Amino acid sequence: MLRKLSSIVFWVFAILTVAEGVDRSLFKTCDQSSFCRRLRKYEQNQSPYLLDLPHLEVNYQNIEVPLLNSDFPNVTLRLTLTAIVGNIFRVTINEVNGLHPRFVPQYALNGEPQVAKLEVLDKSAESLTVKSGDNKVILTAKPLKLEFFHRESLVSAVNENGLFAFEHYRTKPAESETDLQIKDDPGAWEENFKSHHDSKSRGPSAISTDFTFPGAQRVYGLPEHGDRLALRTTTKGGQDPYRLYNLDVFEYELDTTTALYGAIPVIYALGPKHTAGIFWHNAAETWVDITNSKDANVVSSLVNLVSGSKGEPHVDVRFMSESGVLDFFFLIGPTLKDAVKQYTSLTGVHALPQLFTLGYHQSRWNYNDQEDVQTVVARFDEHNLPLDNMWLDIEYTEGKKYFTWDQKKFPTPENMIQNLTSTGRKLVVIIDPHIKRESGYFLHEDALKYDLYVKNKDGTVYEGWCWPGASSYLDFYNPATRDYYKKLYGFDTFKGTTHDVWIWNDMNEPSVFNGPEATMPRDCLHYGGWEHREVHNEYALTHTMVTHEGLLLRSPHRRPFILTRGHFAGSQRYSAVWTGDNDAKWSHLAASIPMCLSEALGAMSFCGADVGGFFHNPEVELLQRWFQAAIWLPFFRQHAHIDTRRRESYLYTEEEINRIRMALRLRYAHLPLWYTLFWEQETGGEPVIRPLVYHYPADENVLDIDNELLVGHSVLARPIVEPGESSVEIYLPGDKKAKWYDLEDFKLYRAGSHRLPVNLDRHLVFYRGGTIVPRKDRPRRSSQAMRHDPFTLYVALDDLNSASGALYVDDYESFDYKDKKYLYLHFNFEKNVLSSKLIDKTDYATQEWIERIVILGPPPGITGAKLVSKSVGTVTLETFYDAEGWSLTIRKPGVTIREPFKVTLI
Amino acid sequence: MSFQKFLRIFRLNLFIFLVTLIELGRSSVQIPRLRGVSFARAPLYDAEKDFTCFDGSKTIPFKQVNDDYCDCSDGSDEPGTSACPMGSFYCTNAGHKPQILPSHRVNDGVCDCCDGTDEYANENDKCINNCLEVGKAAREEAARLIEMYKVGKQLRAQLSQEGQQMRNQKEQKLNELIKNKEEAERIKAEKEDIKNKAVEAENKALEYYRELEEQYKRKKAEQEIEKLREEAVENFKKLDINQDGLLDYIEIQSRQAFDRDRNGEVSEEEAKLFLGNQDSVDLNTFVETTWKLLKPFVIQEATRLYNKPPQDGNQEENEPEVQQDLEQEQAQQPPEDEEEDDEEEEEDENEGREQQEEEQEHIPYDEETQKLVDLANEARNEYSQSENSLRDINDQIRQIEESLKKDFGSDEEFASLEGQCFEFTDHEYVYRFCPFDKTVQIPKSSSMETSLGRWSKWDGPANNIYGSMMYDQGQNCWNGPNRSTKVKINCGSENKLLSVSEPNRCEYAFEFETPAACKGFGDQQGEKEVHDEL
Repeated sequence: MLRKLSSIVFWVFAILTVAEGVDRSLFKTCDQSSFCRRLRKYEQNQSPYLLDLPHLEVNYQNIEVPLLNSDFPNVTLRLTLTAIVGNIFRVTINEVNGLHPRFVPQYALNGEPQVAKLEVLDKSAESLTVKSGDNKVILTAKPLKLEFFHRESLVSAVNENGLFAFEHYRTKPAESETDLQIKDDPGAWEENFKSHHDSKSRGPSAISTDFTFPGAQRVYGLPEHGDRLALRTTTKGGQDPYRLYNLDVFEYELDTTTALYGAIPVIYALGPKHTAGIFWHNAAETWVDITNSKDANVVSSLVNLVSGSKGEPHVDVRFMSESGVLDFFFLIGPTLKDAVKQYTSLTGVHALPQLFTLGYHQSRWNYNDQEDVQTVVARFDEHNLPLDNMWLDIEYTEGKKYFTWDQKKFPTPENMIQNLTSTGRKLVVIIDPHIKRESGYFLHEDALKYDLYVKNKDGTVYEGWCWPGASSYLDFYNPATRDYYKKLYGFDTFKGTTHDVWIWNDMNEPSVFNGPEATMPRDCLHYGGWEHREVHNEYALTHTMVTHEGLLLRSPHRRPFILTRGHFAGSQRYSAVWTGDNDAKWSHLAASIPMCLSEALGAMSFCGADVGGFFHNPEVELLQRWFQAAIWLPFFRQHAHIDTRRRESYLYTEEEINRIRMALRLRYAHLPLWYTLFWEQETGGEPVIRPLVYHYPADENVLDIDNELLVGHSVLARPIVEPGESSVEIYLPGDKKAKWYDLEDFKLYRAGSHRLPVNLDRHLVFYRGGTIVPRKDRPRRSSQAMRHDPFTLYVALDDLNSASGALYVDDYESFDYKDKKYLYLHFNFEKNVLSSKLIDKTDYATQEWIERIVILGPPPGITGAKLVSKSVGTVTLETFYDAEGWSLTIRKPGVTIREPFKVTLI
Repeated sequence: MSFQKFLRIFRLNLFIFLVTLIELGRSSVQIPRLRGVSFARAPLYDAEKDFTCFDGSKTIPFKQVNDDYCDCSDGSDEPGTSACPMGSFYCTNAGHKPQILPSHRVNDGVCDCCDGTDEYANENDKCINNCLEVGKAAREEAARLIEMYKVGKQLRAQLSQEGQQMRNQKEQKLNELIKNKEEAERIKAEKEDIKNKAVEAENKALEYYRELEEQYKRKKAEQEIEKLREEAVENFKKLDINQDGLLDYIEIQSRQAFDRDRNGEVSEEEAKLFLGNQDSVDLNTFVETTWKLLKPFVIQEATRLYNKPPQDGNQEENEPEVQQDLEQEQAQQPPEDEEEDDEEEEEDENEGREQQEEEQEHIPYDEETQKLVDLANEARNEYSQSENSLRDINDQIRQIEESLKKDFGSDEEFASLEGQCFEFTDHEYVYRFCPFDKTVQIPKSSSMETSLGRWSKWDGPANNIYGSMMYDQGQNCWNGPNRSTKVKINCGSENKLLSVSEPNRCEYAFEFETPAACKGFGDQQGEKEVHDEL
């Protein structure tokens, strides 16, 4: 096979690292990053910062206090404290009359947060106490300290360890002068890494502060890292802080704090009494040090905590960013659920996706041509493997020129798409932000003509290498770029596409093969004169934001679907994410769960991992297990590297195909649950998938569990992520009364640890007693084919023989639901009566009906059931117990879901 | 609850008897049939009785058949709905052929049956009945296939005959060759015998001359040593400037040739190094050791002097002339007579050549000996000829045996493909398929062939082993496996490479059509397919 030159360049680079996976030397350690290195050298408890409380300004919406640095008497900073609706405080610290403006992320917030009332309780020259609702902040003047209280108990203290830092912009000191703040760090005014030079013409500008969380046992968050769910202590044993800097890491490693494709700077500190969070609103490179007191021999000096006695558990978190305004939102909690909702209230939710996006996605780099695409679909059908979407990677384009088609391989994309949609399938194609520098390519020529590219520091157009070879990068901060780019998705410019084509935005960290750390130089310039260093982590968000606009413009009546690799706080409003270029290894299968759980806590629930692993070939056991696991993550796609063997599910033995088919069918059966959860996520801000600790924060056993996950609050999945297992340990959370039902046979288990036998067919899934899970159990070839199918309700009874659940239904694709054209049903089972009622006063004309009700842990001696509804009147229904009496099936209620009904066991 | 009420309540089109009119010969027969049930199974659904699942697991009232709820684990109670995961749906497809679908294709919004009967529940998903159209196309296709197979089979029979003939010819040829081989082996043995005898005689006759040659060589060697000694003595005299019988380091220093490090002067140290770190050496020491060290430098000096840049013209052209002159000179003058330094060097260079000449030249034999030598040479030649022709025969035998070993199909029908090549051209490459030999890829823009595999084996499925060929061990893929090609072999009226694809990196898939593969179809399958048409 011959490759294009561009690929050769990349692969020559890539092969050097192929044996060992990631080439770590390509990416900076804290010690190789000037600001991280110099900030980390700070001594604790020597803060020169003080609040000038006598000059406090109490405004209508906030309070403002000058903040002084005793080492630099001429420099004035200003601290602004704002209360935000929903138990949130915002603290912003910026320079007054600084040499250069400082950047605040422009698109992370879902609009300006709604300000809440702030009240000054007490003020003196030494301290200030303000109150908002049940929460209180005490600001201490010297040295600077902020303490957040919820109902009189201390939640967190800022600058408790005296590590607050704000490197104001300054003129470069003469050689002889010593800068008290920068000391003599050689990288402060210009910095080299490998062969790359960062001119840093504005000099040092780092910001940092520490947060202490008394009583906290664990911290979670800070996606994206190839790491466990619970964040580790980074301040001992030569560990690097968690790094947030969007990077295209080739063959990334696991169990590290190194940076990956996305950066969501939100962290939650969980304790038995209180959980709070911080949203660090900054798009520059950020490092986060964590010190958990549980990790013995921690060097930290602390434990002179304000309210805590010596030895009380606590966690210290320290954010360090290269530049920007010091701006953070303090999420008061008091529970993890509250804190996550608070974060979501700031940055937004996933809008309800179209149903098909929750089905199975089949991708590969690359399906060779349009016949190939059609053949793959035909073979899925031949083997009765459900499938919703086919994907095209970069090779569909003409010479990696996005918005074009390779005329030889895809001469009639309309026909191919028509072939897909005729069986209810859709197409997703890739569109990357790098643009091939080729004269005659309309997009490149337009970008030059209208000045839409990111610039070098000297103002010329920046040029880097990516898939097409020499490329330039669109600057989405430029309104002209956004206006131009969104129109490209129109059918007149992106010819051959239809309303059934959706978009995959990849390589938007941005990935630059020959750039420093395979990304864009930090001294490149964006619209408005912002250096790339300021906006870096937000770049991918701007890309997907414009794509989202473009798709709405193109198909105003369909909910857009975009998959992105690079992401930032707020990306959830526009896109789903996947965990990038993972590997066909058991460890990567295992990592997909904590990685997505972590994303979900960052409001990015719509997350998945390439099934089978992107690089290399999965052994068939791994592949089967991967399917069994991936059906429990929101985004479900198989994808593979061009050098791997084909792995479409029909290529295996009948036994193996059947195992995969069973997993796929289980996924499709649960689509009503997924869809309902996404609706509830949009309306209530709760993640779709949740770690156990989300619902059971008081149970110390679950603090570190990240090989199990909850889908909503009804399904607990414990995928098998080790080869050759014949039995596995599972922890079922809850109190003594909690009940869990094994999905395999509806056998009842109580909360606690269990060792259960497994085989290749069996992975562990449980329904929680007390919940009602709506399913569609008829196997179909696609989600589209299921839209009129009837529901089966699984009623898993709790200790009091009751259960409840919800079901959301609409047209599964349009925005009509915004006009109340939907059904949101609440099911309740109590005293042997299952009732259904509409939660919202809405209607949607659906034919969907209830086919079956299965009661798990049923009362004994039931002989039948009685259905009552308006249109049906009263009907007697048959019921059957299974052989063990673990479930009771109510035969064919046959009632439409549009109207309330009652089913009484008799 | 009455049946009518049941229907009204659930608004489901359940339990519908389909009445299908089917033309069978000249008579019209009316058969009531439950939705989704084949004619053959229709009698199993008797509306007058309760229904027992085919697997016997359950008996249900007949009103629960096709009521869109799955009662039987085998799906037999729901032949016409999508309720049972294990069920199947039968569509008659009048005008085309009947079809059996998995139940989940019923009412899924996709028209699977050409008569559209699989989509009846949703107004928006209604299908048109295009069985006549589809059936016609299918019949035409079937007819085409039958025709193709008919033609193909005839061709295949011919090919098979040719193949048999080729095999026979090869076998015949092989027998012939085996006979020839025996003959050739006999001749070879004979010639070997003759050769051995002649060589023995020759050896005997040459014994005397070999002794003479030995003596001559010894003498030559002695002369050589003496010559070297004389040369050393002569040079000693030249270098011993003050003629005191000792060569001292100052005398060495006086000669620029000994400037080892080429710094322009011969240092004392440099000079003494030649003398074994002595101040001086006498003649004997000089002859034994010192001269050996000095000689290269003397020669080098001579070379430099000799190789002064040519006055004009092309050096390369001049040089051979000079060389020639020198050789002539050499030939005319015995080495002993050389006086000039610059010629000494030449002598050294020519030494090798001279020695060669020496070996080649030998003392002339007497007539009788010469005759024996000639005879032996002739015997050797003839022996080697007999060896060659045996090798030729063996080569041919091996080739034929290899070819005979190849599996050209159950009836030798693929044999004629050996030795032929077929090409397929896509937008970038020309692909060449040479059956039983290799597959290659040639970029249109160059002639550089990439091997995609060498003939390995038939690897079709067990019931159709000749359905595909494997070519492997092609050129290695960079950072990947060796290239390989799977060639799918289908029936066609002529030999043709139809398509090439690369489903996995460096694993190619060719599709090839040949009459040789026209077997089976029409015997049973084809007839059945035709028979199924209604």
